[in-house]
Amino acid sequence: MSETTTHSIDISAMQRSQQALRIEDEKVCLSVKDLHLYYGEKEALKGIDMIIPEKKVTAFIGPSGCGKSTLLRCFNRMNDLVDSCRITGEINLHDTNIYEKGTDVAELRRRVGMVFQKPNPFPKSIYENVAYGLRIQGINKKRVIDETVEWALRSAALWDEVKDRLHESALGMSGGQQQRLVIARTVAVKPEVLLLDEPASALDPISTLKIEELIHQLKEEFTIAIVTHNMQQAARVSDYTAFMYMGNMVEFGDTNSLFTNPTKQQTEDYITGRYG
Amino acid sequence: MSNELKIKNQTVSQWVKSGDPWVWLNAGAVAICVIMVIGLLALIAVRGLGHFWPADINQGTYSLPGSTPYTLVAERVESAEVPAAQLREAGIDVADHHDLMMRSLMKTGNRDVYGSDFRWVIDEYFTDITQPEMLFAAERHEWGNLYGYLKAVKEDGKVVAETADLTPTDSALATWAALERSIERATTIYDDIHEVEKDEIGAINHKLERLRLEQRRLELNNELTPAKLADIDAQRAEQDALYEALQQRLIDLYAEINRDTFVVQVMDGSVHELQVAKVVRAYRPNAMGIAEKLGFYGSKVVEFLTAEPREANTEGGVFPAIFGTVMMVLLMTILVTPFGVVAAVYLREYASQGFVTRTIRIAVNNLAGVPSIVYGVFGLGFFVYFLGSGIDQAFFPEALPSPTFGTGGLMWASITLALLTVPVVIVATEEGLSRIPRNVREGSLALGATKAETLWRVVLPMASPAIMTGVILAVARAAGEVAPLMLVGVVKLAPSLPLDGNYPFIHLDQKFMHLGFHIYDVGFQSPNVEAARPLVYATALLLVIVIALLNLAAVTIRNHLREKYKSLEM
Repeated sequence: MSETTTHSIDISAMQRSQQALRIEDEKVCLSVKDLHLYYGEKEALKGIDMIIPEKKVTAFIGPSGCGKSTLLRCFNRMNDLVDSCRITGEINLHDTNIYEKGTDVAELRRRVGMVFQKPNPFPKSIYENVAYGLRIQGINKKRVIDETVEWALRSAALWDEVKDRLHESALGMSGGQQQRLVIARTVAVKPEVLLLDEPASALDPISTLKIEELIHQLKEEFTIAIVTHNMQQAARVSDYTAFMYMGNMVEFGDTNSLFTNPTKQQTEDYITGRYG
Repeated sequence: MSNELKIKNQTVSQWVKSGDPWVWLNAGAVAICVIMVIGLLALIAVRGLGHFWPADINQGTYSLPGSTPYTLVAERVESAEVPAAQLREAGIDVADHHDLMMRSLMKTGNRDVYGSDFRWVIDEYFTDITQPEMLFAAERHEWGNLYGYLKAVKEDGKVVAETADLTPTDSALATWAALERSIERATTIYDDIHEVEKDEIGAINHKLERLRLEQRRLELNNELTPAKLADIDAQRAEQDALYEALQQRLIDLYAEINRDTFVVQVMDGSVHELQVAKVVRAYRPNAMGIAEKLGFYGSKVVEFLTAEPREANTEGGVFPAIFGTVMMVLLMTILVTPFGVVAAVYLREYASQGFVTRTIRIAVNNLAGVPSIVYGVFGLGFFVYFLGSGIDQAFFPEALPSPTFGTGGLMWASITLALLTVPVVIVATEEGLSRIPRNVREGSLALGATKAETLWRVVLPMASPAIMTGVILAVARAAGEVAPLMLVGVVKLAPSLPLDGNYPFIHLDQKFMHLGFHIYDVGFQSPNVEAARPLVYATALLLVIVIALLNLAAVTIRNHLREKYKSLEM
């Protein structure tokens, strides 16, 4: 198969536009205001203020346990599942506070999709995995579902690989394919925001490359927030980067400046590998 | 010398250290378990399956010292060695040189003539044994087997074939052929009678009973207008007319079936005339080749599996018991699965995991250890007497004072067993739910599914193999349970099946037969213990096979589900 030729990408060719990005010019998708999060007594997020710009890729970096995944999981209220978790402050999706009482959490999660570190396809066929979100919404028309499944699989650059075995179990795919399937599944419900929680950390380099290429394509249509341990990856795929440390947002800015000219000593230490 | 000893000590301690003794111990324990299970199955299989084999009929002279010799015609059932001293004590004059003597249990049949079917015989004194070809055995609807020589066959009292010979001469064989034809004819008529009595008259009785209940219901509600009464009476008259016609047909059939008789000479030389209609089948085992015997064996096994019991359950088949067992287990499964799963889902997924939940979980686990008879008593007291009589008063007042659900029945037995096995299903399901990876649940929730949708569409299907494991354990336990059933609906004899062609088709209020109880009843409540004993083994084997088949079905389903939802190991 010509996998490597069709999907190989030249990172240097994906040069970001040289013109500097400025956060002030971006449309705001998500805005976080004075967000505190406690696990029982322990304060895991200590007053985060930031925005996630629309149709851009925002990366979160920082050492393990700094709260970047926790923050990401606040955007679609996945932390609600943790019993001891308590949150103050607000997060606005466009103009609505998602932590307002009476928010339809299921609807929020449809609008803010999430992809996890480990590929987690359902033990169903490839087709049914992608159709899952649609069926949840009560869409049952076969034509609509067929079209959406194909569109989603194409968006996740998976269609050509699986179009002949749509009705086979998703568990028979490779890890990289599974992760792209999960992305397709998330994309299929047409969310506004895609949250990627270390989407490539369990994958081999080739699959990682494909995921990164995919992120580039997806940001045309979606606002993307990605958590990663891999600073090269953050540098390659993101437009904006947030560096977090011990539950604090240390520095947030456009990726170019943050990596080439960090304003904080902590950031510089981290990205140059002095700790973390 | 001391050096040698030291080396030996070292070797033993090394051997212990190497872990070999434990491996041997464990392997030995497994081996003992396997041998015991195989031994158990082999024992019941040999004892049970041998029963259907047409054994040779021996004829000989039994001359016990000190009593008059006589001719003995019998099948050998079993033999055992007994000390001669014991026999001497029993007053038998055994020669001095004997220490041990073989003693055999012989089945002489002809209970109506001799008073008992079996007698013990000391082999030493049973001599001149032959297996005459013309000796025949006849299985009868009552009085057990008959052994003897056929002398004549009669129709309406007139002799159609007769013989004086005890050897296979032409006349003897012709008479035998006449008997076989006559039995065949009688069997056909017997089946007709059975069909008329059970199916057709049964259906009419069912309708008449429903009419009676209908009338009584209208009476109780003060709605019995003359018009309705006339309508009911008209319907009743219609059924009565049908019944009359069938009754006439029955009388004719009985006249037909009682036409033929046959004359038989038994071992003491006396001659008896018997009705052919009383005979189920007649055969001459001494004249049968191995192929014929196999064919006979097959037909006996089929009869055992498909026919109704005869003669206080000691003859015939056990079909109603098989049917009752399977039906009850299936109903129990249908009841216990949703109930157990729902309870487990609440305990594991919704209830907050605090002290109360933990207490409930411990209580549920302990419920599995409550003796089953306690469930039987509970079922009788709560389900049958309390709920059942409540249901009767609310829904079946017209049938009172005779109870409908206020007495043991299929439904109460199933519910009682469901209650008995629900802890197993809850525990297995909880185990299964707790093993579903968190990230799969999150994957579903992140797509906008609610918790209930996630449970229904992802978690429960993935937990289904574990649920099936619980169901398998429940089936295994319920199918073998007897004690509680005796209190809530199992009876000794219930030839009418709980599933038939009469509305409402499934009769949940009906009493039923069960293989486990059948074993107990045949083995220990039977008037004819010797005749019943092989059936105890055969029924036990059948019960084991039925449970194994039910389990196998469940295991197949589980393996299929496992393959489908194999967990996401990465």
